[in-house]
Amino acid sequence: MTLLDSTRSRIRNRGAHNGNRRVGAVEFIAAAVALFLLAAALFPSWLAPYQPLAINPADAFQAPSPDHWFGTDESGRDIYSRVIFGARESLLIGAAATAIGVGLALVLGALAGLGGRLLDFGVGRLLEVLFALPGLLLALVFIAIAGPGVVTTTVAVGLSTAPGYARIIRGQIIQVRSSAMVEAAVVLGRSRAQVLRRHLLPNALAPVFVIGTLGVGQAVVWAASLSFLGLGEPPPAAEWGAMLSAGRTYLTTAWWMTFFPGLFIVLTAAASTVLGRGLQRRAVS
Amino acid sequence: MAAARWLLFKALGAVFVLWAVTTLIFFGIRMIPGDPAEAILGGPGSQASAEALAQVRADYGLDEPLLVQYFMQLGRLLQGDLGDSYSMQVPVSSLLAEQLPPTLVLAFLALVLAWVVALALASWSMLSGRGAAVISSGLEIAGAAVPHFWLATVLIVVFSVNLGWLPPVNTGGVDGLVLPVVTLALPLAGFLGQVMRESMLNAATSPFALSARFRGETERGVLFRHSLRHAAIPGIALSGWAFGSLISGAVVVETIFARPGLGRTLLRAVTDRDIPLVTGVALVAALAYVVVMALSDIAERLADPRVAKR
Amino acid sequence: MPILPRSLSARFSTAVAAAAATALLASGCSPAEPETSQSPVSGGHLVYATGDAEPTCLDPHVGGNYPQALVSTQYLEPLVSLNKEGEIIPWLATDWKESKDGLSWTITVRDDVHFTDGVKLNAKAVQANIEHLKDPATGSSTGYLALEKVTGTEIVDEDTIRINLSEPDSALLESLSQPWLAIQSPKALKRSKEKNCQSPVGTGPFKVADWDKQNSITLVRNEDYNSPPADAAHQGPAYLEKITWRFIPDSASRYAALQSGEVDVIDNVQPDTINAARDNESIEHLNAPRPGASNRIELNSGKPPFNDPLVREAFVHSANVNAAISSLFFDTAERSYSPLSSVEELGYSAPDLFTYNPEKANKLLDKAGWDQRDEQGYRVKNGKRLSLKFPVSTNQSIPAEISLFEQIQATAKKVGFDVNLELMDLSSWYGALAANEYNLVSAPYTKVGPDVLRILYHSDGIKPAPSGYFANLSQLDDPKLDKLLTEAGRETDPKRRAELYEKAQKIILNGYYILPLYDQQNHFLHRSNVEGFRALPTVSTPTFYDTWLSQ
Repeated sequence: MTLLDSTRSRIRNRGAHNGNRRVGAVEFIAAAVALFLLAAALFPSWLAPYQPLAINPADAFQAPSPDHWFGTDESGRDIYSRVIFGARESLLIGAAATAIGVGLALVLGALAGLGGRLLDFGVGRLLEVLFALPGLLLALVFIAIAGPGVVTTTVAVGLSTAPGYARIIRGQIIQVRSSAMVEAAVVLGRSRAQVLRRHLLPNALAPVFVIGTLGVGQAVVWAASLSFLGLGEPPPAAEWGAMLSAGRTYLTTAWWMTFFPGLFIVLTAAASTVLGRGLQRRAVS
Repeated sequence: MAAARWLLFKALGAVFVLWAVTTLIFFGIRMIPGDPAEAILGGPGSQASAEALAQVRADYGLDEPLLVQYFMQLGRLLQGDLGDSYSMQVPVSSLLAEQLPPTLVLAFLALVLAWVVALALASWSMLSGRGAAVISSGLEIAGAAVPHFWLATVLIVVFSVNLGWLPPVNTGGVDGLVLPVVTLALPLAGFLGQVMRESMLNAATSPFALSARFRGETERGVLFRHSLRHAAIPGIALSGWAFGSLISGAVVVETIFARPGLGRTLLRAVTDRDIPLVTGVALVAALAYVVVMALSDIAERLADPRVAKR
Repeated sequence: MPILPRSLSARFSTAVAAAAATALLASGCSPAEPETSQSPVSGGHLVYATGDAEPTCLDPHVGGNYPQALVSTQYLEPLVSLNKEGEIIPWLATDWKESKDGLSWTITVRDDVHFTDGVKLNAKAVQANIEHLKDPATGSSTGYLALEKVTGTEIVDEDTIRINLSEPDSALLESLSQPWLAIQSPKALKRSKEKNCQSPVGTGPFKVADWDKQNSITLVRNEDYNSPPADAAHQGPAYLEKITWRFIPDSASRYAALQSGEVDVIDNVQPDTINAARDNESIEHLNAPRPGASNRIELNSGKPPFNDPLVREAFVHSANVNAAISSLFFDTAERSYSPLSSVEELGYSAPDLFTYNPEKANKLLDKAGWDQRDEQGYRVKNGKRLSLKFPVSTNQSIPAEISLFEQIQATAKKVGFDVNLELMDLSSWYGALAANEYNLVSAPYTKVGPDVLRILYHSDGIKPAPSGYFANLSQLDDPKLDKLLTEAGRETDPKRRAELYEKAQKIILNGYYILPLYDQQNHFLHRSNVEGFRALPTVSTPTFYDTWLSQ
């Protein structure tokens, strides 16, 4: 290890990160959470004791207990089971919306950052237009046109987050393109493709990882906000955002109705952020 | 000279953005099922008579072909006329004049608070070691993953109902602003904080920071002389976006805290299919965005000369 | 506190009682004084927070919805009102008489009332209002429909007007009692629509002073007020000096604002909130169910699968409504078995028809040919699943009601119905109805009197209005019922009218066209220092004329 490397890792350590290839405790926990969420999404009936839609009005508003770990909701449905069964839909909305957003952004951002002046100008203006429209306005109009539903919510969230990603990617590419490293590579006579592959993409994508992983949690939050406005998943879906917004009515009397779905949104965001950063570090080094 | 060209460029860009927003909104809203004439006559479910509908269609030019209507609207906009709101029957401009200031104040304060919180958290974690980093990172992630509507309700329950410190709804005074500003700022602070920390980390490990350390500068010196400035760049770039997201957030926050403002107007305008009002709100939001962007461009140039070279 | 007096003599006796109580207090012997011992205090500022939408126009002639009625009750007054027994009582009108053939009504208005712009109330003013309601340029829908049979008016003398009808209308006075047909200053009506929407001018105890959009309306006392309805508790100007009418759309914030004392009265109170407020000593509850139709789910008999009465009956027995109501509404709502609200004297109930009986439902579905089930347990017939579309308006159905629909969805699933709830905003919801894209729907309808049945279940109501709207959402098309409803609408003999409406309701209930749920919920919570607050017996809008603030 060179002196420079050791200094770097010392500083990195201070920023809550471990040495480049070692898996730290935080990352380990994040991986465990992610695995659990994945298992819930793929095989919910293995983990959940009850059916997510089975109502039992006599059992409504039960606080958490050995019978109902996370309590029950206004219809006596088991919240733990609903959260588990809701994982698939929620993660799918989060991941798909982020994928749509980041995918669109990558194309636009790369076109702008790498193409000629004219292309950059065109894409830049397009982004500005999308950006200038508040995301929620885009989502509201889109949902009003297409009608509410899973697909609509996902696309609406993806569309309204894309400009944000695109702008960051474009800025990053421009910044990297004008960096000494890339200039040196160009001077050394590397081809465009080589420069793109070796230097531009890895460096430009780095922040996209962080933002993209954050985006999953963000997208679930967005979907929840649409639910609050009455435009989310139709009932009785056990989607976390819908559960959060339905439980808000009973916040003072039944805190568990919002706490647990909310906790899972935060867990998802946290796990994907930590893992995303880990992956990114490995990709860069 | 270069500055003048840059300004002209920006101005042309702004005009283009405003035109494109108008066009998108006009056709977007017309794609939503529903008859604008009904929106004018008291909204859906109003059992307006055929005569009334016909009269309104003629009055508002709704019986013209869509393209003609579009150019009619563009023409009016060029003359600075935003038209009358379909649902409220008053000039859109006067509605906006009433509703814009409260939202601007709210969004601006929230943006400032978010910046302060994000910078504080990021700096603290850079200077105070691993424990601080884990805590602040956790706070940021949780903050960014909390929906406004939930946060708002929790804040009301804790600070208004249980503690009785702050009013739960708008009072017109400063005390009524605290909870809405905090509600809007915290999720944004979480988001900004994460992005800033990442840039700070990169800056702190960059060759020039290392060489500064070898020259014997203190960590504090490195942080304030180099890292902060670098952390600010993506943060500044994000501020334009952040402002837009605050307007989206204002929809929820203004509803819950019963504040007048652009966000609530927007929600209502879309549900009422009130085309002039939606266009008006969108234009104002777009204009605000253009201005904030121009400011953040300038700030970015000052913070990082490389950006200016492009 | 005695029940609010309903007639002049009763009002007099209360005054005496109050005087006597005050005398007792003064003489120093006051063993456990009842609340009435406090006499009303003049002055004070009340803050009302509504959860209903902010009106787009404060003149309820324009459009005509409930949010407009709520606020306009404070500054506009109709010709007549109702007492608690549902009888017509005088308000701006003192006298009314139907002609022998039923084709005209002669109405006399008070000769001592002025609008707040100084114009005197007279027959000409009433005429101007009826013309305003019937003018297409006004864009009235509620008032316009209520005056459907009115062909014209004649001025008999200064204070007497004759209203001519195309056919007898037993519901005319009930219609005229509604806030959407309140009388405004003819001079004010001549202003532009925009102006009149901002500040309508009436004869009410308060007047509109200011409207701060998306925030509040300020109402100030009408110092010259002299025209309370016959069932009011006092005479002269209102006690309150000022009312701030706030718009707080979020129900949790609204209740928080009431708890913190920021506001004095809130409406649209959710069941769980009423339940929570039971423990709060400084908050009181007022329940004022709306008249007209009950809240019910309409079964669209105009298309499959509900064109088959067996399937309708099966659905009704598959829905466990009672269990849902008790768990979700905390005993704040009572189950209804009638198409009419419980405040309607002529409502007819049939509890036996609407039992939860999954076995019976299963048998009925088998009999109707839906005897196969697919792998998810839903009934199938000829390869088609027994799917039902249920559009739900999030503006009209409160969270507890949406949860109720979810529970119905769950119990109906056990029998094999695939109920698809679709939450949408009001515009899209009306769009879905106009496109006949529904099998189930819940649509509130507020109107004074049983004539609401004609609007909701006469086959004329299937024909869409020019806007695409139609009121007969169960698409009930029965000539026998049409005849009964038309006859009842003309019949002025109370006994005969009651018989006709009972027969009509039996047809609606026995045909399983509807699944009644409960009254249209209309709950208010107020701080306990708000005294003398009540809802008008007409469409249950709150009135603050008799209200005062105690310490």
